[in-house]
Order: sequence, then structure tokens, then C-alpha cells
Amino acid sequence: MAEDNYTRDKEEEEVDEEEVDETNYRSVKDAVLFAIDISSSMLTPRPSHDPKKPTEISPASAALKCAYHLMQQRIISNPNDMIGILLYGTKSSKFYDEGGDDNDNVSYPHCYLFTDLDIPSADEVKHLRALAENEEEAQMILQPSEERVSMANVLFCANQIFTSKAPNFLSRRLFLVTDEDNPHADNKSLRSASCVRARDLYDLGVTIELFPISRPDHDFNTSRFYDDIIYKAAPSDGEAPIYLQPDTNTATGKGDGISLLNSLLSNINSRSVPRRSLFTNIPLELGPNFKISVNGYILLKKQEPARSCYVWLGGETPQIAKGVTTQMAEDTARTVEKSEIRKAYKFGGEQISFTTDEQQALRDFGSPIIRIIGFKPLSALPIWANVKHPSFIYPSEEDYVGSTRVFSALQQKLVKDKKLALVWFIPRKNSTPCLAAMVPGDEKVDENEVQKVPPGLWLIPLPFANDVRPSPEYARYSPPDDLVDAMCSVVGQLELPKKVYDAQKYPNPSLQWHYRILQALALDEDVPESPEDKTTPKYRQMDKRAGDYVLAWAELVEEKAQKMFGGTAASTKSTLVKRGPKDQGQQAEDAINHPSKRIKIEGGTSNLDDDVKRSFERGAVAKLTVSMLKEFLTAHGRATAGKKADLVDRVEQFFEEKM
Amino acid sequence: MADKEATVYIVDVGRSMGECHNGRSVTDLEWAMQYVWDKITHTVSTARKTACVSVLALRSDSTSNELREDEHNSNISVLSKFGQVLMPDIRKLRDAIKPSNTNRGDAISAIVVAITMINEFTRTLKYKRKIVLVTNGTGPMSGDGLEEIQKKLVQDGIELVILGVDFDDPEYGVKEEDKDSHKALNENLLREFAEGCEGDCGTLEEAIAELDTPRVKDVKSMPSFKGMLRLGDPERYETALQIPVERYFKTYVAHPPSASSFVARSGDGEGEEHTDSRPNQGEALTAVRMSRTYQVNDPSAPGGKVDVERDDLAKGFEYGRTAVHISQIDENITKLDTFACLDLIGFISQEKYDRYLHMSNANIIIPERANEKASLALSSFTHALHNSSYYAIGRLVAKENRPPMVVLLAPLIEAKYECLIEIQLPFAEDVRSYQFPPLDKVITVSGKTVTEHRNLPSQDLQEAMDNYVDSMELDHKDETGNDILPIDESFSPLLHRIESAVRYRAVHPNDPLPDPPEILAKFEHPDEELVKSSAPFLDKLISKAEVKKVPPRAKGRKRQRETEKPLSGLDVDALLNQEPKRANISPENSLPEFKQMLSRAENIETIHSAVKQLCAIVESQIKNSLSDANYNRVVEALGTMREELVDYEEPALYNDFLRSLKSKLLAEELGGDRKELWWLLRRSKVGLIDKATSDMSEVSEKEAKEFLSPN
Repeated sequence: MAEDNYTRDKEEEEVDEEEVDETNYRSVKDAVLFAIDISSSMLTPRPSHDPKKPTEISPASAALKCAYHLMQQRIISNPNDMIGILLYGTKSSKFYDEGGDDNDNVSYPHCYLFTDLDIPSADEVKHLRALAENEEEAQMILQPSEERVSMANVLFCANQIFTSKAPNFLSRRLFLVTDEDNPHADNKSLRSASCVRARDLYDLGVTIELFPISRPDHDFNTSRFYDDIIYKAAPSDGEAPIYLQPDTNTATGKGDGISLLNSLLSNINSRSVPRRSLFTNIPLELGPNFKISVNGYILLKKQEPARSCYVWLGGETPQIAKGVTTQMAEDTARTVEKSEIRKAYKFGGEQISFTTDEQQALRDFGSPIIRIIGFKPLSALPIWANVKHPSFIYPSEEDYVGSTRVFSALQQKLVKDKKLALVWFIPRKNSTPCLAAMVPGDEKVDENEVQKVPPGLWLIPLPFANDVRPSPEYARYSPPDDLVDAMCSVVGQLELPKKVYDAQKYPNPSLQWHYRILQALALDEDVPESPEDKTTPKYRQMDKRAGDYVLAWAELVEEKAQKMFGGTAASTKSTLVKRGPKDQGQQAEDAINHPSKRIKIEGGTSNLDDDVKRSFERGAVAKLTVSMLKEFLTAHGRATAGKKADLVDRVEQFFEEKM
Repeated sequence: MADKEATVYIVDVGRSMGECHNGRSVTDLEWAMQYVWDKITHTVSTARKTACVSVLALRSDSTSNELREDEHNSNISVLSKFGQVLMPDIRKLRDAIKPSNTNRGDAISAIVVAITMINEFTRTLKYKRKIVLVTNGTGPMSGDGLEEIQKKLVQDGIELVILGVDFDDPEYGVKEEDKDSHKALNENLLREFAEGCEGDCGTLEEAIAELDTPRVKDVKSMPSFKGMLRLGDPERYETALQIPVERYFKTYVAHPPSASSFVARSGDGEGEEHTDSRPNQGEALTAVRMSRTYQVNDPSAPGGKVDVERDDLAKGFEYGRTAVHISQIDENITKLDTFACLDLIGFISQEKYDRYLHMSNANIIIPERANEKASLALSSFTHALHNSSYYAIGRLVAKENRPPMVVLLAPLIEAKYECLIEIQLPFAEDVRSYQFPPLDKVITVSGKTVTEHRNLPSQDLQEAMDNYVDSMELDHKDETGNDILPIDESFSPLLHRIESAVRYRAVHPNDPLPDPPEILAKFEHPDEELVKSSAPFLDKLISKAEVKKVPPRAKGRKRQRETEKPLSGLDVDALLNQEPKRANISPENSLPEFKQMLSRAENIETIHSAVKQLCAIVESQIKNSLSDANYNRVVEALGTMREELVDYEEPALYNDFLRSLKSKLLAEELGGDRKELWWLLRRSKVGLIDKATSDMSEVSEKEAKEFLSPN
């Protein structure tokens, strides 16, 4: 119950956070158009050097696989954002209602709009998958043209797609994947035309992100052509730090197909979401009369499945019904404008109301600010002092020139001395202030040298005294040193790789399952049997590596418990190690190894699990008491809500599943 | 469930309470009532039926109490009987509590009356019993039978609090000069009386000062998970380990009370307002209801949309833009089957953990209650993590079929408490990789690494920063001298502001709201002493940093100029000039060509011409728009035009066009009903350019606002 509330509160808060920059007329959406070069060199498979994985992958196919991966991922992470696939240099052409092999009568010869720029549909996902997985029919499209495609035309084609399909988007990006670093080496006018068309895209607010691929015999050199095409930052991306590295990615893929695919994936993944800020240019006040400006971002945020919606089945295809909410006055049922609404609080059985001005004044805590109150060692921040995800800040030169160097000095000092700053934090106009710990973060890169965590400062909102709950009391017993040592041996066996938590290794199993099922339903495929869940512990390894230590510890616990709590306690308290019951003559074995059983039972019976099991075998589960049923279900992670009949059903189901 | 409460407030309303003393601008009674109202409204805000309050007036003109037969008990009247206090009671009390015309009435007798009332009301049931007496101690008091009364109070478990106006309190630092000797006697009597029955007697000033410190509600936590902490799979391996544990909130954001929406009642029938039972409300309000309808696209319908019945709709989800409906039988098909459990995944080094990975509020994990062996076992686990500097990574399913979470389990071992702290960690999908350049070096376009740059601190700046940071060290420590953050002293400002405003307004419906207490802003600014002592270091830092504020005007276009070149620095404008066809703006590439035309404009005529051409394109886009097909393009064009003309300081060109566009839209001259577009333009904030946005504008902010207003 409490937890349900919790999620709801959180959602409201998040919605609030999404409302970025109210002054902008653009809608906060992202459109990504892949432009993939389909030349013969792009289509040449690159054999794997690894004899164990004899897969051949061509650069074009790697790009398509990445595009497919990104499309699937964005359906989950950015359900309102658009994606499209434009192949260029193809023999045939396709642009909306024109196309075919006749390249004379089309607007954009050798440009093949494979997936129109839109929120992807299930069919489009399926088509792209077919193309990426080398299905023959699809391969008909992947034929390179004999004549060279004009890059100016490709760029203008992209321009038209963005103009008509994604008007007014805050972020529009062209992902260009090619291994040709000088497409118009011998034609100066085509080259100039390309520069002009690139400038058009820039003025339209489209960012070109180049994913260059080196050829086995030639390194991709951006200075030959693409430095004339690519701009430092799109004008619409006012949030980009001014000295951000140009939006080119390091050339990838001198090596084999697999490593090419991996580095391309890693590069594209790092660009999969456009940088959206939580707040821009707010002052970071280091002391009275000393401010610099920073931008804030959310780099960590819980991704939830999209909410369910209503589908109308009355038409030819199922359609999502849009809900329209109108607010009406209860007395006259007239429609009410938002500005008329006043807020009132329930108090003493009546409503206490405030004028709009008063309500505003109550919520007004001043302009956005991050104000440093003082510094403390990092160790002063308790591990529990947390209420939500952090925000990340990075300097901006927009309001104060010199912000970056000051920020850098502060960040380096905090890193060096392991310190934090205590700050008074108001993220946006009208948001509630909080105290936050500002902690330094170092840059981290992955094995492909792609940045995983940027360098900067993190703001961790602290709980107020109101938010700290008293800890419930319980009877504590100091564990003897040898018992702790025994547990240390167990724990020492089960370190995670590099002794760190790497979020990338743990996709959210319920989120993935949700969309896996939706995909199967949408594409009319069979629903998969069982989910892939990377968060499931590696039980076999645990048994192998730590099993003996666990048993040693368990024996010691028994011994100490006997000594500390005596015989009376042992008969009513639980055992902690439970041995697999399957392969042993249970009763006898249990009697020897486990004089006491797991769960405390009123009345002194010592073995709940076995009692319940025996009752089940006799068909007499219904005769057990409700408290026994509940205890049993709780111990096995089952719900305990409902009437007795429900509990009995659940217990019976539990044993039936085991059979 | 909190205990039932029975509290009697005895308020001295004697004639002398109506006077102002010791330089205060409020009467003693008004001052005393600040305290009493605060206490009473706090109780009201809990909305608990079992928190019962009664109010007695002492030294009142009349006498009305159960023991009135006894003449000792005259001039004591019950203003409100025991019960939950609601708004009508507050209004009644507010009117009733006025200074009387008498100074007669014995405070000790009032306490006796209160005891009787409490006993009658609570009988032998379990209650928290309390009597609060507020007086200036100038009335007559008889010291007869005090001992017996004290005995009774102790015996019945009644807590007694006496607060006196200007009572001396050397500890708090209150001493009334030239105190009336009668009052001094009374003070002594009351103090000794309170001390003799384990009660409190204090000075009112202190009690009122304490009101500003927010009271934090103690919330009893319920376990959010009860089950097994497991290492390994007990179904398959005999080496699996299970410890029964429980999980509780450690932190949980306390939200301010939620408000509901109201609008002014439509002004029909004047008489109604007079008979309104709530005279404190300036105007009558009526609730706002939500009504929800559902629409689907239908090209054949006017407006392209038709309403559908809620009953004709199936539940479903979006997969991309494909609607996937799910039949009722399969309702939970997309839900992962899980069982409640806290599984350990592995262990990581404390040293290498990045604190910013914390994603949620914190919970604590403690052993199952009354299970000694579980307590011992969990403690050995906690100590093992602590001793070998590990955190555990776990997979938690709090209830059957809830989604699994990956959590951090950290040992917390304090002198008086120990537990595991549990916090959610991010999944792969929760991490957004936005890239930012390094802060300790600059990599140039050509790929060179530079360590001296205007964006990097010089050695001098770094030193100045180091010294400043060191000079601003906070000194919060716990009892054992460890560094701590002042979490205990920080209170949620919004929560307390709203709560206290509601309580104030309930009692003072017609007064403006008071300023919020200073304590809520305690951490808004650094401590003054600290600022003073670190000032020289700050001055040094400022001089080394050489930070310059960008004047607001320069923020726009001019600074972006330098970025309007590709990486190579190629002069694309020169190429553009060679393009013959770009003299006129083409509709399909209108925005880039508009911007380019402006940027190359050498005279005002070119700007006028560019604007005129774009305006014509916009109008034709509207005219030719099938339903709302072109609307977003129109918004983009207007937004771009607006931005550019602000930068080029030609707001009038935009404002003129927008005015004419508005009248054309509303007159349906651009292809019929375009109200939806007008609505969209309003929402998109592409209204008139006002003076605040551009100095050159002649449109006031008010005018700009009215221009966009619905009527």
C-alpha cells in the first residue's frame, strides 16, 4: 500500500521534471534519421579473425544492425521520438510515392527511404530486422549504384524529410554512417553544393553526427570532406558546452566485422538520447557576489514501461483512443479555465483556501540557484541520506565567461580532497528548494574509449528531518568474531567482476519482458516461453565457490545460538540454512541436521515446512490455521492477501508447481 | 495507531489579560492565544477523531461548569466540550475567547474542574491525558488542598503544563522588572504546584519561540517486505543460505498536504453569499470535477476526430506507434512472474562504489522480529561486510509479482543500532549517456591535448580555490566528533510553510499570511561568521578567476556567430552568394533560406523582403493545411521568425504580422476554422515580442499577455 503511493508520488515528480524550458516553442522530442552509405565497399563482408566466431559482417550490415538495435531500444526508452532509415548510393530509389529503378524521374536518385521518419510501427521494426538479418528479399534493396550519388542531394533529401515529418522538434539528428571520406574528390561544384546543403541543415537546426568507418587499407580522414559539412553544434543545442568536442566520432573499424559492430554500437549507444537539460544557465554561487553558470542534466533515471492505454477496435486497424480531460465546475457544469482554479486544503472538516497570489507566494522560494553553504569531507554523507536520483551539473559560459575554469578548479579540488559541498538548491522557477550534497565525479570510459560517465559534479538531494523515519527497535546480539570471520570467507568468494557494479550488465528484466511480449503480440509472433533475466544470481557458481563456507558458517551459527539462547530458544526459532530436501530421506535427515525449523510457530511444533507439506499430501491444507498458511507463504515469497480459501489455493498451487 | 488523546486548555481570559504589558503591542491574551491556537490547530490538522480537546475559560464573566455548585469554581466556564475540533468549533472559540470584565476566578480550581472533566470523559480507557494552563498569574489563587490535587494528577496520569505571561525564568533569561508581589506569589505557587506533580511550569515567551521550530511527525513504519535474504537457491542447492528479514523505510519524502481544486461559484443569487455558513471565505467556492472523453481519428469526421464510448475500448499498450490490445484473459501477460525475495547477487568494494548511483529513498533491512537466531545471523553478515569493506548487490522483489529491483546493501553499524541500508541501483536502461569533455584538459578540434587553456584553471586559480574551499569547512559534528551533515536541523520548507499557512488562515481568515519562520531558511545562505572569516580567500579567488558576467544583450546572436562555420572554418556564406537561385525564399527550404537571407542582408529592405516572403509562405501553409497537418511547421516558422527578429532588433515586423495573422485566423480567412491553430500558437509562446524581450519593442508585457488571452 505504502509503496504504491510511493511510485505514484514519484511519477508526479518526474512529470514535473520533464517540463524543461517553458519559453521554447519547440516540442521536446527527438528525431533521428540514419543515412547509411550502401557502396560496394560498405557491403563487403569483413571476415572474423576469431576462428571460434566465423561470422562475416559487412560495415553496411553492422550499421543496419545498430539501427535495428536503436529502433528497438527507443521504443522502450523514448516512445514519443522518431526514427527513420535512409539508404543512399543504392541502385534503386524510393522517396514517398516516387521510386523504382528509373533514376531519371525521381527527386533524389539513389536515395532509398527504407523507413520513413516517424515513431516506428511494428511492421517497420519487422522490415528493418529482415534487412539487418540478411533476408534474401530484403537484400534486393542493398545493391550499390554504379554512378556516384550526390551528397548534396542526400543532404537535401534528409532536409525535406525533417522539414515535413519532424517540424518543430527540439532535436533533429542525422546519423551518417559511411566509409567514404571524400565522395566528391574530383568534382568541385558537387562539393560546394554539399557544403551549402549542409549549411541548410545547420540552419534548420539539424545536427549531423558522423559515424565514420575506416577501410582495412585506409584511415577515415575527416579533413578531406566532412570538416566542411559538420558544425560544432547545432544552433538549437544551446546547451552544448561551448568547447564540446566536435560531433564527430572517432573512426572505427579497421578490424574485423564483429569489433566494427561493437564499436559502432558503443558509439551509437552513447548518442542514442539527445542531451536534454533539466535546467540551463542557473547560477552556482560559490560565495557572496561570486557566481558562475551551470547546466543540469539527469543522467540516471528510472525507466518505467509506458502506461497502458485504451485501444479502439471498431475500425480496420486497432487505434489508440486519446483521452481528453475537461475540468468543470461542480455546480453549473461549465468548463473551467486553468487560470480560474484556486487551491484549497482540507482542514477541520472544511476547505481552507488561498488566493492565487497567496498560493504563489507560499511556493515562491526565489530564483533558481545552487548556493554553496560550506564544505565537508565526503565521509560526512551517510550512506542512507538519499531520497531520489541525483542531477549532474556541468559548466556553461553562457551567463558568466570563465565559469568553466572555476568549475574545473572546484571539481578538481573536491576530487583531490574527497570533499563535498553542502548546497541550497532550487533547480527551476517555482520548484521547492532542498539541501543537497554536491559530490565530485570523475570521467569514466569503456573498453572502446567511449565515455561512459562524464566528469562533473553531482547533486544529491538530502532528506530533511521530516523525511527520516525512526528505525524500528529489535533485539540485537553482537556476533562473535569467529562467526563474522566465517561469513567473511563466504562473502570473499563472491565478488563481482572488478569489484564494481556495472549497470550495463543488468537490463531491467520486467521492462524487457513487457516489451518483448508486446513485440511478439504486435508482430503476431509466438510469445516467448521464459524471460531472460540477467539479475538472477548465478546459483550454480555460488554453490560451487561458496557452498562449503556457507555450511561451515551455518554450523557455527547453530552452535553459537545454542550457547547464547539455550535450548528453549532453539525449539521455537528458525534455522537459517536450509538444505535442499530433494535427495535425502527427509524426516531423518532433518531431525539430525536441523533440530529446529525455519519459522516460529505458536504452539511449539517445530517444522512448519514439513507440516504444511504433509497436510498437502493428505489433502488437508484447509485444516491449517490462517497464521500458519501466512507464515508459510511469506517464507516462500508468495502473496498473503485475501481470505483463507485464497491462501489455501496458493499453498496448494505452490506444491503443485513443485511436482 | 496513535494513542487516544484528551487535552484540556485552560485559558485565562481575565480583565488583566486584555492589557498590553512590557512593551508588547499585543494583549496578554492575544499573545497567549498564539500558543494555544498553534497547539489546537496542530491537533486539528491531524484530522484524528481520537485527538479530543476541550477548552476552559478562566476568570470568565459567567460560570458554566460541572462543579459550579461549589463557589470556588465560579468564573470558570467550559467553552467547548471534549471532542474532535472542527472548523465550526474554531470559529466558536474565536468569538468566545475575549477578555472579560472581571479578575475573579481561581486557576487551581480550574485545574480541578479540568481533572473532573477528563475523568468523566476518559473513564478508565487508555488515553494520553493533558492539562495546559495559560495565565498571567494575576488572579486570586487559593493554596488549599494542593497536595491532594497533585496526588490526583499523578494517580490519573495527567500531564500538567503551566505557561505564564512574563513568568521569571532565569534559565531562559526572562525576568520581569517591578513584578507585582501578588503575581510573584502566584508564580511561586504555580511552579511548586507543577513541580510537585511531575508537571512543567514555564514562561510563555519560551514556549512561543519554540513554536517556530517545526515539529516532525513521527510516522510508524510498516514493513514493506517480509521474507528471506537468500544466498543461493534453496530449491536446488543444499548450500543455500536463508535469513528471515524485514524491510522498513529509512527515508521517505514527507509531502505537503495536497490541495484540491475549486473555482468561484457562479454569481447567481446574491442572498446565497450572505447565508454562507463560512463567513471567513471571501467568496463561495465550488469544487472542480474532471470529465474524461475519448477520441479517435476519423478523416471523414469534421475536425478529423470522433468521440468513442469508454465501453467500446480495450486495454492495451503502444509498441512504437502500433496499438497492441490485450484481452482481459491475458491481462497480466506482459508482467514478469516473480516471488518475493531478497537474493544476493554478489559483492563489490566500498571504495569503488560511486555514491551518485543511489537512485531512490533508503530502506533498512533488519532481522525478523523476535527471532534471535536470525538477528545473530544477519548481524554476522552485516559485520562481515563492514570488516571486509564490501557492499552487497541484491535482487529484491518486495511482493509477489512486483518487478525486481537491483539494490545496494550497505552495512550500517552505530553504537546503538545496526542494520543493512538498502537502496535501488540503476538498470542498464536507466543510464543516459550524455557526453561531456574532460575538465582537466582540453582536446582541440585537431585532436591535440592541451593543459593550458582559458577553460582550465591556472595554477594560481587552483590554489585560490583550494584555500577558499578549506576556509569554508563546516563544523557540524556528532557526539563522538565525527563529521556529519545537519540533516536533523533542516526542515522541509514547503511542507511547513503550507501547513502553517493553513493553520493560520483557519484561525485568522481575514488577515494576511505571516512571513514564514526564519528557521526554514537556515540553510539558504552560508553562516555569517563563516562568510566573514573566509572573505579574504574569496576575494583572492574572485580576482584570480576573472569571471565576467555576460550582459543580457550579448547573449543572443553575436556570440553564436563564430560557431556558424563548419569545423574546417570554410566560408559557406561566400558559396551561398554564388548560388543564383537563392534570391527568393523557396517554400520547401524556407527556414534555412530565411536565416541565410537575414544574415547576408546589407540593408533593411532585404530584411523586410525576407519577412514578407516568409509571411506569405506561412499563410499559404495555413490555407493549404489539411486539418492540422501543417500546424507544427507554422509554429516552427513563427518561432524562428520571432527569434531572428528579436536578434535583428526588428520586433515590430513580427508583431505586425502576428496581429494580422490573428485577425485572419479568427475571421476564418485562412481556409476555414483555424481555432485549433490559434490555441496551439498560444500554447507555444510565440506571442508578441514585448519590451522585456526586446528593447526596441513598443508592446508592454501586459499587452502581450492580453494578446494571447483566450477572450
